[in-house]
Amino acid sequence: MPTVPFGPHQVHYQIVGEAGRPVITFLNGLTQNANLWAAYADHFVPRGYRVLAFDMLGQGRSSKPVIDIPLAAQADMLDHLLGELNIDKTHLASISFGGIVALDFAIRYGKRLHSLVAMSTFAELTPQLELLGAVMLQGLTDVGLPYLQSMLYPMNMSSAWIAANRERIPAMKRAGYIGNDGYAMQNLMESFVAFKPLTPDLHRIKVPTLILNGEFDFFTPRECHEVIRRHVANSRLVIVPRAYHAFTLEMPAVTMRQIEVFLDQVRVGTWQGDQSVWLASEDPAAAEPCLPVAGDWLRAVQPVARRAAPQAPKPARKPRAAKAASPTAQAIAKAPARRKAP
Amino acid sequence: MIDPALFDRARDRIAADGFTPDIQTKIALLLTSAKNGNLIFHGQLQWMPNLGVVQQFIISQSARELEAVTLLARTTEWSQNPTLALEANRITAPIALAWTEIMLPPGPLFNPQAAYRGLSLGHAQLARIRLLPVIPDNADPAAPFVVALNRIEQENGRMLQTQIRLLKNVGVEIPLEEREALVERDQEMVDAVFSEFLAWLAAP
Repeated sequence: MPTVPFGPHQVHYQIVGEAGRPVITFLNGLTQNANLWAAYADHFVPRGYRVLAFDMLGQGRSSKPVIDIPLAAQADMLDHLLGELNIDKTHLASISFGGIVALDFAIRYGKRLHSLVAMSTFAELTPQLELLGAVMLQGLTDVGLPYLQSMLYPMNMSSAWIAANRERIPAMKRAGYIGNDGYAMQNLMESFVAFKPLTPDLHRIKVPTLILNGEFDFFTPRECHEVIRRHVANSRLVIVPRAYHAFTLEMPAVTMRQIEVFLDQVRVGTWQGDQSVWLASEDPAAAEPCLPVAGDWLRAVQPVARRAAPQAPKPARKPRAAKAASPTAQAIAKAPARRKAP
Repeated sequence: MIDPALFDRARDRIAADGFTPDIQTKIALLLTSAKNGNLIFHGQLQWMPNLGVVQQFIISQSARELEAVTLLARTTEWSQNPTLALEANRITAPIALAWTEIMLPPGPLFNPQAAYRGLSLGHAQLARIRLLPVIPDNADPAAPFVVALNRIEQENGRMLQTQIRLLKNVGVEIPLEEREALVERDQEMVDAVFSEFLAWLAAP
């Protein structure tokens, strides 16, 4: 089990692939650990990359400080880890909690990056996220870690995935219970008490940035990713169809395809960071990995433009008094014009 | 972190043999040893001068440890094999020794370093000694011993809240790095004890 000291702490990491190749570093979500990127290593190492995954402070096999884990320490620790492993620059792919750390890293240590992939994440706490975080913390502290685990499955995964994996979920929860410490989760969540929005500094991210957001992610919904897209000039937002928050686990093939195409574009110099919005192909083998989004990507449903009503036939009987339009009809009538991708 | 395979092997042993009196006694001896240390420590710490409102939290911690110990004593189907007690004493000796060092005169009442060490060790015990993963799927969830384990572990989670608050807010005269290093050392010690215990639990 390779570890690197970081102050009084130990950081557990895994690196596979030949030295000298371009490195992709993966950053975990809150309750994840480095092992969960093994499938990504299996995919990217044969394609010429070196894959680094590690447990952040408070996660998995790394030290779990009790007294304090400042959020900024996670990016500082990544800088330290890269230095210890003699990695000058890396591609950085991250999800959820790891995404915030990755954004912070890209702002403060941008020179160490070739590119950035930010998935299911946010740069600032929306009021909704703030309350969700408070509820999660309350569940963890008042009830316990098993409660938080039970809460996260339906928040992160689709009904289809839950139905297909219902039998396996107790074993997965048990593994998560062994690997995680409730107090460490609490400390990671409480590190947000001092969290300052990253949004004002997002413009400092200059590297090619791919933002991936699940279509049905209600934990970190579109508005969170839209903030990143608007402030990072060299970015593109790709929406993963029918995906929820943890699509890296639920749809690994689709996710790997998007990351692979992105890295190829960065490598050969065809990447266009134009802040445009795309929809990923549901078929990871499709010829087109993604297509541009034409409509309003911030809406879950798209209003249809009104057409001229056909001439109504003459009523056989006298019509009743017109009813007030339904709320839905009123909403459709008031809907703004479609947004265009820049 | 405890090797997950140790939990698996202990669970598989219990799944095969059931919660026999020997298994229950092993678990009860470990938990009682750890919790008695924390109980005695808090029992003295509650009289530390100038605690203010913190005193009530410390009294609550010791009361809850006492509840856990008595709950275990009442629900455990005790084995009459004395070698289990001897082996449990050997395995838990590092924890017992640490509590003894903490309680040496002048003790936590007048020694802030010992007081902080006690909070740190108590935290490590509550955080790392976790027995829910060894309860097999085929165990009767309504069996008194299983109910007791569930309740104790849930209560441990709540007690950790107080323990974390105390660790964050007392002992601030000790540098942060030193405090974190102390906590980490205690966790490693408890991890080693608990790993050996799980191997003992899994043994035929």
